[in-house]
Amino acid sequence: MERRSFLKGFGVVAACATLLPHVANAADEAKKVAGPNEMNYENAVAAITGGKPLTPSAKVVIVAPEIAENGAVVPVKVTVQSPMSDKDYVKAIHVLASKNGNVRCANVYLTPANGEAYFGTRVKLGGTQDVVAIAEMSDGTFLSAKQNVKVTIGGCG
Amino acid sequence: MDVSRRDFFHIAAALGLGVPALSSAATGATRIDEVGLKDIYSFNARGNVTLLHICDMHAHIKPLYWREPSTLISAPNLTGTPGFLCGESFLKHYGMKGKTLDAYFDTHMNFDALAHKFGKMGGISHMKTLINHIKKERGADNVLLLDSGDTWQGTGLALKTTGEAIVKAQNYLGVDVMVGHWEFTYGKTRVKELIEMLNATFISQNIVGDDSFADDFEELIFKPYTIMERGGAKIGIIGQSFPFTSTANPKEFTQGWSFGLRLDTLQTYVDKLRKEEQVDCVVVLSHDGFSVDQEVARQVKGIDFILSGHTHDPSPQPTVINGTVIVIAGSHGKYIGRLDIDIQNHKVKGYEYKLIPVAANLIPADPEGEKLVKELYSPYDSELSEVLGITKNTLFKRDTFQSTFDQLINDSIIDAMDSDISFTPGYRWGTTVLEGDAITMDHVYDMTAITYPNVYTFELTGMHIRTLLEDIADNVFNANPLYQQGGDMSRLGGVTYEIRVGAVSGKRITNIMIGGKPIIDTKVYKVSSWGGNLQNAGANLKENLTRPVYDVASAYIRRQKNVNISGNSNVRLMDYDCGCPKKGARGC
Repeated sequence: MERRSFLKGFGVVAACATLLPHVANAADEAKKVAGPNEMNYENAVAAITGGKPLTPSAKVVIVAPEIAENGAVVPVKVTVQSPMSDKDYVKAIHVLASKNGNVRCANVYLTPANGEAYFGTRVKLGGTQDVVAIAEMSDGTFLSAKQNVKVTIGGCG
Repeated sequence: MDVSRRDFFHIAAALGLGVPALSSAATGATRIDEVGLKDIYSFNARGNVTLLHICDMHAHIKPLYWREPSTLISAPNLTGTPGFLCGESFLKHYGMKGKTLDAYFDTHMNFDALAHKFGKMGGISHMKTLINHIKKERGADNVLLLDSGDTWQGTGLALKTTGEAIVKAQNYLGVDVMVGHWEFTYGKTRVKELIEMLNATFISQNIVGDDSFADDFEELIFKPYTIMERGGAKIGIIGQSFPFTSTANPKEFTQGWSFGLRLDTLQTYVDKLRKEEQVDCVVVLSHDGFSVDQEVARQVKGIDFILSGHTHDPSPQPTVINGTVIVIAGSHGKYIGRLDIDIQNHKVKGYEYKLIPVAANLIPADPEGEKLVKELYSPYDSELSEVLGITKNTLFKRDTFQSTFDQLINDSIIDAMDSDISFTPGYRWGTTVLEGDAITMDHVYDMTAITYPNVYTFELTGMHIRTLLEDIADNVFNANPLYQQGGDMSRLGGVTYEIRVGAVSGKRITNIMIGGKPIIDTKVYKVSSWGGNLQNAGANLKENLTRPVYDVASAYIRRQKNVNISGNSNVRLMDYDCGCPKKGARGC
């Protein structure tokens, strides 16, 4: 409940502008759009980790729908299990959309004063893809979790 | 007497604790005079609680004919598993004999001949007699009637009364708890009005407020669960409405509500029921779909029973995954699932299940129900009973790729709109009209009665059509059940194509021909559709002709008088040799 009220107070953070998913590109491959933020997924991850390894971890929990209700506003929540003490805390949470024209959705920087490593937002997805959360830990390691989100025009019954 | 014993019908797997019981029920008779009410009622009663389960009635309060699918194709990893079984493979999997009452209810084989022999299926007055019998046997205080949804929509009567007639039918049956899917297509306001009229509790843990400016943002719209005491036991029932309602049906009906599987909160409620509410048995009343619920049982711990719905599967035998027992009771009121549970010392010790066919010729009608049905239909009788034409061949709905009734609807649309292509949705509800029988207006509504019935005509490029077909195929044939939406493939008029369901997403469909010619990606085609979201893809070209699909189809059938649909498939399936493949096989 506290988290929910926190989210309400926080409102919805708009992030991750990319092409609108419409019928034409509802299939798997998102169209590439050139732009200042263009970076493929691997490069975007490398820019965050500085080339350090990314370790999938159960400590990072990403909640996103299996099938997007609306690809333009897909709710994503990330929680990282951490004591958030001065010695052991989450320095940052990064949210990436692996196949968007601009894969980088959000970078959130935290301090132990945050008390809890939790972040919720909405991202725009250009097509079916993995949404990835990366947690940058105070010991210099990078943990991750992902959820595949299907973007479809739907319409069966 | 040629009566097969259906002990497989009565599983008492007992969660690894109980002793499997074999019962001598026999609805495997091949002749109507060989099978009687006692066979239908026969049940090895067990324990202290009985859950009666219905799902996907689609507003059929009168008995009907309903033919199960002749083709039920899935991704190769799921082929021949419960949820993807039909015809001969279905019989073999469940150890059943052909040409029996059970085979007539559960498969498409010899459908017309058996229909003449065994008669119609379902109907609330017959269901009620069965329910009354079980309540008398078990004691009414020990029985719950649970409804997995898709109850308020599917007939002309439902549409004309915006669901009200069906709520009255549910109250008459004595439904205790329900969840929803097509219910929501009456819109949020009407849903709430109907819930007010309903004597049952409407529950859903997976619908929350989506409007960040509203008070209910991220709050539950309905009670997530309810606890009922029966037979001295506390039963916790968690509701799971259709997770993909806002994708499968127009968003406008549920604006501000967010759906989804929400397995994380489902786990939270399971744990809460066990630890805080101290229930003796955790039940999930679900409209996820049979295949999805098997995946739910793999991912969520501690559910005793999932009463599933949505995919219309008749499953004579429960499926047990990680100790969770999953049952599903067909569709259109054809069956009532009876689940007896033995609860001792606050734990489930065993169970017994039977999928009971509601054979209207064998189970006498309850007079009160007959009266109610008559009353509810009387204002609409003259319109609904109009004979539009006669069909030479059986008109049916269920098949993965095409069906005769859908072909008739597509023919009527192409005729009326002068379009190159017609899309009719791959819904799994509808009706069956036997060969040589009259097609009535009621039958047309049975196939088309939705709250967004208009036929739209618009332009799409060949490339666009190809992308759409791939997108639809990926929802139907996804190897991961969680990404399926539980419908069949859209039915296409004016188009033929080849499909490899096991190919990767986006590469399944080849050799698309439109009007007998290969599709050209850059060419613009005139497309008509109804019941989906396709019309959003282009401006409506036939504004002045836009009208409900039931008007288009009925006008066409009236003109044709004698309907002759070949039933030849316009889809060539490349990776299977037949419509009902066995597990791990190309063939049947």
